[in-house]
Amino acid sequence: MADEHPKAADANAPRPSFSRRSLFRGAGALAAGGAVADASRAAAAAAAPTAVRYVGMSEIELEINGAAQKVAVEPRTTLLNALRNHCTPPLTGAKLVCDRGSCGACTVLLDGQPVYSCMTLAIDAIGRKVTTVEGVAKGGELNEVQRAICEHDGSMCGFCTPGFVLSITACLERKPDASLDEIKHACAGNYCRCGTYPHLFDAALAAGRALRAKGGK
Amino acid sequence: MGAGEFTGAAGANLVQDAPPRAAAPGKKWIKVVKVQNGLDTEVWEEVDDVAGPTWGPREALRLVNHDLPRVDGPDKVTGRAVYTHDVRLPGMAFAQVLRCPHPWAKIKKIDLEAAKQVPGVYGAVVLESEEVKWIGRPIAAVAADTPEHAEDGVRAILVEYYVQRHAVTPELSLAAGAPKISGNRENVRVHETEGDVAAVDAAFAQCAAVVEGEWRIPVQHHACLETHGVVVDYRGGDSATVYASTQGTFTIPGDAARKLGLNGAQVTAVVEHMGGGFGAKFGLGLEGDAACRLSKELGRPVHMLFDRATEFLAAGNRAGGVHYLKAGATKEGELFAFVGRVMRHGGVGQGSNQKQPYIYRPKHSFVEVKSVLTNTDSSRAMRAPGHPQMSFAMEGLLDDLSYAIGMDPLEFRVRNVPENRRATYERQLRQCAELIGWNKHPNRTAPDKSDAEVKVGIGFALATWGGGGGPECKVEVRIAADGSVEVLSGSQDLGTGTRTYLTAVVAEELGLEMSQVSAKIGRSTYGAANASGGSTTTASLAPAVKHAAWNARNAMFEHVSTLLGVPVANLRCTGGRIEDSTNPDSNWIAWKDACAALGTKGLSAQGEWQSHLAASGVGGAQAAKVQVDTLTGEIAVLHMVGVQDCGLVMNRMATRSQLNGGMIQALSYGLFEERVIDPDLGIVLNANLEDYKIAGCKEIGLVQSVLDDADTRGVIGMAEPAVVPGQSAIANAIMNACGARLREMPLTSDKLLMALRGMKRG
Repeated sequence: MADEHPKAADANAPRPSFSRRSLFRGAGALAAGGAVADASRAAAAAAAPTAVRYVGMSEIELEINGAAQKVAVEPRTTLLNALRNHCTPPLTGAKLVCDRGSCGACTVLLDGQPVYSCMTLAIDAIGRKVTTVEGVAKGGELNEVQRAICEHDGSMCGFCTPGFVLSITACLERKPDASLDEIKHACAGNYCRCGTYPHLFDAALAAGRALRAKGGK
Repeated sequence: MGAGEFTGAAGANLVQDAPPRAAAPGKKWIKVVKVQNGLDTEVWEEVDDVAGPTWGPREALRLVNHDLPRVDGPDKVTGRAVYTHDVRLPGMAFAQVLRCPHPWAKIKKIDLEAAKQVPGVYGAVVLESEEVKWIGRPIAAVAADTPEHAEDGVRAILVEYYVQRHAVTPELSLAAGAPKISGNRENVRVHETEGDVAAVDAAFAQCAAVVEGEWRIPVQHHACLETHGVVVDYRGGDSATVYASTQGTFTIPGDAARKLGLNGAQVTAVVEHMGGGFGAKFGLGLEGDAACRLSKELGRPVHMLFDRATEFLAAGNRAGGVHYLKAGATKEGELFAFVGRVMRHGGVGQGSNQKQPYIYRPKHSFVEVKSVLTNTDSSRAMRAPGHPQMSFAMEGLLDDLSYAIGMDPLEFRVRNVPENRRATYERQLRQCAELIGWNKHPNRTAPDKSDAEVKVGIGFALATWGGGGGPECKVEVRIAADGSVEVLSGSQDLGTGTRTYLTAVVAEELGLEMSQVSAKIGRSTYGAANASGGSTTTASLAPAVKHAAWNARNAMFEHVSTLLGVPVANLRCTGGRIEDSTNPDSNWIAWKDACAALGTKGLSAQGEWQSHLAASGVGGAQAAKVQVDTLTGEIAVLHMVGVQDCGLVMNRMATRSQLNGGMIQALSYGLFEERVIDPDLGIVLNANLEDYKIAGCKEIGLVQSVLDDADTRGVIGMAEPAVVPGQSAIANAIMNACGARLREMPLTSDKLLMALRGMKRG
């Protein structure tokens, strides 16, 4: 598949081999969360302490939305469940829908890259910057994507909306002039059962225009 | 035009030309469309003849019938919106269920003791101890401190089964010697037969062309992104709160109270936001039963939401079916003779009504409806129950017949729709034709027979639905001394934008901005409201909101009349002030000042349904343009158009969202969705969101939604007709593109290639 997201190739992770999620997500954009996490951890191994074993409920520290937070999780606890069930206050913006990397409702950013948090272990997020939908609006002000989704009626029941906010935000950060096809590609791993897609596309294109106007491009 | 003036659409069978008797004093008769057995029928209804609020001329509306951003949009885009899934309470336990692995089994023994010893587990309950008759039925539930520990607990439950022989598919159930699923009753039931076979046979002899076929319709799943579930918060004492992902706030308290040993008034249901229902979410359900029992036993809140597999297996589906249809037409294009034999597949239930013929009215017809039981979850209502199934078969048959007599299928439709709605359907079909490019399309009276490898075709289909409202809602509008306005209704919002139109209707009536009004919904302590089924929510609720706002405005006028020394009749609300309409520039009072003078008691007004503000019965036409690759079988939907009458629209943007969504769900139904069962093992093979495919961003082409403004009636509701015809239009477009009639959904490449191969051989 053609890589339509230049920055995806810049990620220090090597392109992961073919996986179920890369099939659904398309090219590296949202490349398999777990694989990227492991690979980049390996790449940064020099700085990392030697292998830590976690057994049973363990306290780890995550950087979530710019703040360090201690959470008690098991090695099997997904990043999604850590956010929703173990953070204080609980961060329930990311939704548990399919629990196996098919639907994108659990999307969060890991070092700026969208990943499925249901397919990422919480312990694999140690040392990485986690951004959830709660952390997107800075100082209470909606970002351009959030604003545009409100203006273009890009949500109906709204359960998929946080995932789309992050997929589109990450896409436009890489490429504010993303075309409709590129936006569809970036959101190909996000399902909306209500069928809000056309208005989400309108919103994404409008947000891109707003970002370019802001950036003076 | 007011309610009851039947200009917009729908209405198949008018029961009587005139009302049954003279109206009683203070009453009047109106014609309304009721859906009876899935078919809409006009009936007379006696309603109060009172002067009340009116929506006024559409051009004078400032907020209603405009594009309104949702008032809860910011909550949804920031993750602040709290769904039932997201409720987190102190000491809350997470529950999971154990599903029976056999489609039919008697339970010898269930042992929860080991499960209760698992670290983190708080408790466990048995949900079924005798017999399981369908795939995936939950039989026990475990509550623990984390979902992971609850899963551990579920794995530790010991069950011994007597496995029974099953019939998980209609074929197995229809076979000789099949096990009887419902006691001693036969697996097949005859629900209805209508018409005279001999007369229809004679009528076929007079037809210029006769076509027939068997349409096969798979079981579809609702696939709501938020699974079914509740959080039950009962820590003893005489009150409980049940957070529920439901389409009916008021379907929860009574049932939950019975389970908890309380009375209905002691249980508060909360539905702040909900992540999709599409007909599957009414009442407490197995999940609510489990949570109530666990919460009562443990004395702590219990979070019980189905996992995705359970959602597929035990939370409902759209009934499948087989429709054998045969029809004949005269050479002038009259649908003359018709036979329809329907077999519904509703699992352990009867399946939704699928009585043919859909919409079109043949001169002579014979119809038979049966159902066959299988060892699978009962079907439930799903957006326009029965209609998409009927549409898929009937619209296909209609196109086959129009090509058989060499007639444009659009003209054939116009000719054969019921007389009383011809004008509406014709207007909508011609608008679809214009937007999709039918008028310039080369193959309008016969499918493209050329040797081209890649071909484009266009197809049409129609929808009908009753919608409309009823006296089901009570709404309160409160005005406080600081000028703030609240509108309260217990109604739920499924994603249709309830909060937004409540806000808009009140702000419009009081001459305020939307930001000055807050809507509070989704709580059973607020005014009663109907469950959201049958596209009846808006037509029931909006008139009651309008009435409450009008009553609030009148009460404000009484109060301001003395302040300004102006008769009530001369007052009006506009631009954030109340003014003397005869002297608006100098005699007025700002809204805030008028409210301040109310004092701390403020003002409260109630509203109820007003029949003249609602209407019922909608049509709708859709068209699809599809590209097929005859070499690879690839099917791509390039463009879909929907033209929908809706009565008075509350929020145009949200209504277009609904229509878009209906078309996309229909596309998904047509091209991708199908529950797949292994007949020998008796297991569902695709109870997850990667093997059960739903439409994503890349599968949809251009989707164009048009609200039919020629319809000038009151509020109706249109979510259901939007989902009816899309898959039929796509199948017809494939036929138009290459002459291949695919009679089995999903419409996949392999089926297209097989059909094309059959044509070459034929």
